[in-house]
Amino acid sequence: MFSVFKWTLWQRRWSILWWSVGIVGLVVLTLSFYPTIHNQAAQLNKSFGSLNSSTLALFGGTDFFSPVGYLNSQLIYLMLPLLLIILGVGLGSSLIGREEGDGTIQLLLSRPLARSRLLLAKALAGAFILFSVTLIGSLVILGLAKIVHIGIPLISIGAACFACFMLVLTFSAFAFLLASTGRGRGAALGVAAVYALGGYIIGSLANTVHWLQKPSLIFPYHYYQSANILRGTFRWSSIVFFGIFIAIYMMLSWLSFRRRDLG
Amino acid sequence: MDSALSTTKLSKKYRGANRYALKGLTLQIQPGEVYGFLGPNGAGKSTTIKTLMNFIQPTSGSATLLGHDIVKDTVRIKREIGYLAGDGAFYSKMTGRQYLEYLGELQRPVSKKYQQELAKRLQATLNKPLGSLSRGNRQKISIIQAFMHQPKLLILDEPSSGLDPLMQEVFYELINESKTRGSAIFMSSHILGEVQRICDRVGFIREGELVAERSIAEMTKDATQTFDLVFKDTAPIVKLRKLSSIQNVVENSTNSVTLHVRGDLTSLFTLLSQHTVTHIDTRTLDLEEAFMHFYQSQGDKHV
Repeated sequence: MFSVFKWTLWQRRWSILWWSVGIVGLVVLTLSFYPTIHNQAAQLNKSFGSLNSSTLALFGGTDFFSPVGYLNSQLIYLMLPLLLIILGVGLGSSLIGREEGDGTIQLLLSRPLARSRLLLAKALAGAFILFSVTLIGSLVILGLAKIVHIGIPLISIGAACFACFMLVLTFSAFAFLLASTGRGRGAALGVAAVYALGGYIIGSLANTVHWLQKPSLIFPYHYYQSANILRGTFRWSSIVFFGIFIAIYMMLSWLSFRRRDLG
Repeated sequence: MDSALSTTKLSKKYRGANRYALKGLTLQIQPGEVYGFLGPNGAGKSTTIKTLMNFIQPTSGSATLLGHDIVKDTVRIKREIGYLAGDGAFYSKMTGRQYLEYLGELQRPVSKKYQQELAKRLQATLNKPLGSLSRGNRQKISIIQAFMHQPKLLILDEPSSGLDPLMQEVFYELINESKTRGSAIFMSSHILGEVQRICDRVGFIREGELVAERSIAEMTKDATQTFDLVFKDTAPIVKLRKLSSIQNVVENSTNSVTLHVRGDLTSLFTLLSQHTVTHIDTRTLDLEEAFMHFYQSQGDKHV
């Protein structure tokens, strides 16, 4: 099992590197503007005040230029998860999906390797890649937050980054589930992306559009309260929901994959 | 002693399909036996192999490899199996060496020395990415990964396709060495000369059903002669068909026929002496003709 894990990382080594570079670039670009934006916060708040509450909700709240507002709206609520979701959903759909599409899964299963172990090794490799890229991005956020004196406790920023990782892992696990049922990489990628994007829109609007509040409960984005984490008012029990989603998706992946026809 | 491979009424019907891809396959292969599995594309060869390897689940029936159930004991079985896929799946960015290292790690113990010996004999290119290699060179590496742990049972799907004649010879040597060690080999092939040369027994599969099973020795013993005849006038088809020694008459044109004859030829030559024969050619039945015989009747059935 460790061999599958190790060689999967080896196969994705360049992808890990370039995604890390991309995430670091985004973080540097976003946080390096913070001092300039911070100085003009009052003026900018006035301009954005004319937008309606639903539109503001899509960008992560109503406060864009306070330390929490800026970090949340520009990075933690949307852009960082968005980029990581692209990576995570891509990984989830291809870890098993590509092996199956290329026929190499049969090579692996022609060895004394149980399907459950193959599935677990692939899932762990995907989680490890996602965690590594998130960790690199998080460390750069923490470093730059200190440099630009953003004024948010580093522990809160770290916690928000962890919540972001759990959110993305949930979508990645969903794509992994779809690929494990043999729907194909394209279908897994597409459906998981719609699930993530739809969940983001519904979760963001649920605070202002009353009838969306109940449907939003089934989408992981509802439990991603990054602004509250940065303010230190987050209820950590919400993170448990990500764990539950991931556990359910992984269980369904295994049930589907263990006996189905491959190739 | 347990059969190396044994199936009992093994069947597979894919979801949504209206016919069986594999129907009631019953066969046994003993240790040290080389079994050729023949059939046209879509006949069920790959389905059989995928079912045996537990990549797909049988709809009904059962099978054992090396005495163990193919579904329940699949992991245990695969410690002793060498498999070569027909579609030549590979990791394009890995070099041959990395590919063998990966598969070797999953299939311990693998003798590095034997792996190197195989690479040398097959003149395999191990330092280039597999995606940059020709099909034949990739096939050599696929052969190495199937043989490198000296398995007790080899399941090979079109193993020599893409190999040049020199490397085909090396492959045949490897088959013979495995056979000598007591390994059983189950292989599908389109190269009938190869099957005739290296197999002990052949099975013909058609539309998912095993339609015939013959040993090569038996086929040689019962060899039927084939005559290609050209008559000056219309060939006496009706009279030819009435002769008891004639097994099959293929009408090539109005004055040209191919006859498959077994036993005494006197009655045939008596009949021919009454006609003007302008050309006569004779051959001993080989596997290719047996193959054509089985599958031509399938074609006739569909006309």
